Amino acid sequence: MTYTDSGVAHQTGASRLPILDLHDVRKRFGGTVALNGVTLSVAPGEVHGLIGENGAGKSTLIKVLCGIVKPDSGAISLAGEAYEPHTPRDAKARGLQVVHQEFNLLPFLSVAENIFIEHLPRNLFGVVKRNDMNARARGALDAIGLKDIDVRWPVERLGIAHRQLVEVARALMTESRVLILDEPTATLTSRETDRLFAIINDLRSRGVSVIFVSHHLDEIFRICDRVTVLRNGETVFSRRIGETSHDELVRGMVGQQLQKEMASEAISSAGQDITLSLVNFRHAQSPHADGISLDLHKGEILGIAGLVGSGRTELLRAIFAAEQPLSGTLLRDGKPATFRSPREAIQAGIGFVTEDRKEEGLILTMPIAANVTLASLSSISRVGLLDRKMENTMTQQFGADLKLKYGGPSRHAATLSGGNQQKVVLAKWLARNPQVLLLDEPTRGVDVGAKAEIYALIRRLAEKGLALLVVSSELPELMTLCDRIMVMSQHRIVGEVPRAGFSEEKILTYAYQGERRQTGH
Amino acid sequence: MSGMSMKLMLRDAGIGIALLLLIVFFSLSTEHFLTPNNISNILTQITINLILAIGMTFVILIGGIDLSVGSMLAFCAVVAGTVLTIPDLSVFQAVCLATLAAIGTGVVCGFLNGWISAFWGLPSFIVTLGMLNIARGAALQVTDARTIYSFPPSFNAFGSQMVVGVPVVFLIALVLVAVAWFVLSKTVFGRLLYGIGNNEEAVRLAGHSLMFYKVAAFTIAGALVGIAAMVYMARLNIASPIIGIGFELNAIAAVIIGGTSLNGGRGTVVGTLLGACIIGVLANGLILFGLSDFMRQMITGVVIILAVIIDKYRERITAS
Repeated sequence: MTYTDSGVAHQTGASRLPILDLHDVRKRFGGTVALNGVTLSVAPGEVHGLIGENGAGKSTLIKVLCGIVKPDSGAISLAGEAYEPHTPRDAKARGLQVVHQEFNLLPFLSVAENIFIEHLPRNLFGVVKRNDMNARARGALDAIGLKDIDVRWPVERLGIAHRQLVEVARALMTESRVLILDEPTATLTSRETDRLFAIINDLRSRGVSVIFVSHHLDEIFRICDRVTVLRNGETVFSRRIGETSHDELVRGMVGQQLQKEMASEAISSAGQDITLSLVNFRHAQSPHADGISLDLHKGEILGIAGLVGSGRTELLRAIFAAEQPLSGTLLRDGKPATFRSPREAIQAGIGFVTEDRKEEGLILTMPIAANVTLASLSSISRVGLLDRKMENTMTQQFGADLKLKYGGPSRHAATLSGGNQQKVVLAKWLARNPQVLLLDEPTRGVDVGAKAEIYALIRRLAEKGLALLVVSSELPELMTLCDRIMVMSQHRIVGEVPRAGFSEEKILTYAYQGERRQTGH
Repeated sequence: MSGMSMKLMLRDAGIGIALLLLIVFFSLSTEHFLTPNNISNILTQITINLILAIGMTFVILIGGIDLSVGSMLAFCAVVAGTVLTIPDLSVFQAVCLATLAAIGTGVVCGFLNGWISAFWGLPSFIVTLGMLNIARGAALQVTDARTIYSFPPSFNAFGSQMVVGVPVVFLIALVLVAVAWFVLSKTVFGRLLYGIGNNEEAVRLAGHSLMFYKVAAFTIAGALVGIAAMVYMARLNIASPIIGIGFELNAIAAVIIGGTSLNGGRGTVVGTLLGACIIGVLANGLILFGLSDFMRQMITGVVIILAVIIDKYRERITAS
């Protein structure tokens, strides 16, 4: 273990003074108010949950704390002294570290090099002491239970979940008094989340304070001592975890009782006609000769559950021909179809909301209107000439339909919150009026309010006869939405659960079963 | 007026102001700068760079680069020059055929640039670096390293023709700027070039063929090299396999000074026009000012770097 037991551990319980204290912190960016009076205090050795919708100010708050953004007003103290970091380096020197949501790893350097990138161990001549570095990195990874990763591997070889844990390992290399984890579990499976929670518990027992940002309330209740809710840049309330409830937190975040929408009982609109059918469908990474077989009906919402890496995303990408399928048959309305490119899949009435909104779904640096119309440019143009009026009308129409909160069609997509960005992606596909919609993590990084709206939209689409194939890592999401859930593991379907039989245990059992079978021999 | 084009216009306006300041400065500090003769001189001098830079704008907008335009200019010129000196053709026939030959040669080279880099997913930097050598070698091979001259006198006269004090060749370049502006800002094609420069995967997954647009951008650049080659021959009355060395760098400089991002996806051809003018005005003005050509080159270099730095700050201001 490399984070040594320092003075901070002894402070635990010794004083009730908060280690980190924020009073009425405010920040504006031009006309937008990002923080409108945040008050928050974190005790030593406390795990403090920070929740709020996207756009509630969590990201700005974190940027203030790690020295990227300077607040306009308000007071912050760390360990009793005024705290005004100018750079992340200052923050680190004062003992405050952040594990960011976006990855900061260098893909072509080794895991060990990444962990030590800020202080590579060097000898007298400035040459990196590789053995020493690798051994210490090994220790750091073992400490957080990542025994199956070789520290000499380049980071690009790691899956997204492992990268996240390497980030955590890196943050733990330097001692901190306050560690901020920004949505650390977004990419983790439940096994890895357990691992992370063990690390957090260990930190807590050493007197390190942890600020834990998450969209998952179950996790907040599992790991946090206290929780603070932000809304519109303001602190709504802070509560001990034992003194609050799931409902109270959700009410705090959305400010109204939107959760009704999320709980409403879905009525299946699945029909008899099979819209999309796969028979022994394989893609390049699929290890099994029998591939995937499934039927998707008109008006059906079919969920695909499974652990990260079970091949869910790859399946959707192969159906959409984003990656070329290897073999097997795809039937569209009963007729065999071979797509050589996304273009052909789209022409066959298929749309694909990708998992990674920023890299694949949106052109962040272009106007919202350009994003909405990106897949249907022919309908807003004549002989190749764009008709801006039609483009704006189309954007405004979808904006109204999907309750998009935006500054105007010509604003960049980057100006939108996560939930509204996702609505733009959905609008892009709905503009084509598809018959099949593939959705990969449709509400990742989306706040509670927008989530409810997206659920309602998905149901409405199914009622209109659209067939939807939904991949999600959030089981409650699949269980709320779907008529049927298929469970994938190791690139094959290991189980199918009809709506009547939905239970988390059942689905997880399938998911882990498949994995055990694979690793068992 | 949409916010994006508004922002782009503001950006162009900033570059325009810089150009104006330069013009004012040189008018006040030198005697001969603001004379009709000198102005038409400047316009003639920037014409070839401007035509090349228009094509370069297309390529840079999709996040590519074309290092081969200088060599391609020589290759296009010697091919066209060979056609132009075929005996027994009327001047009109010879010029038409030569123009077709120049543009055709440019189109083929540009197509190869685009197709090779798109098909094998190679960086265009590498592919066009290869083409830089191939086209230069081809130009030398075709001519056996000899210079072609004695073109029809009327062709040469066209190269120095004026309309109200403005060189005709510059007017041709302006028309090309207008066409390029229209294509980039008003058509689906242009929209997708910007889209590819900003996020090519999103464009692909929205059902567009990246191959088509990438090849098209390089092919357009090639066609413009062909036109530039004809202008070059008309002006200087020769076609030599060693012309155009380093022209690609001037073209890139005009595009960058004009505010187009080397990462692609951001910039306008109007900016490129202003960028080419800034380079031309600087070159001419500094010499009138009494500086050596060496100093001029150093200052041009400083301006390129300054332009990018200023752009960086402007980006930050508009972002917040």
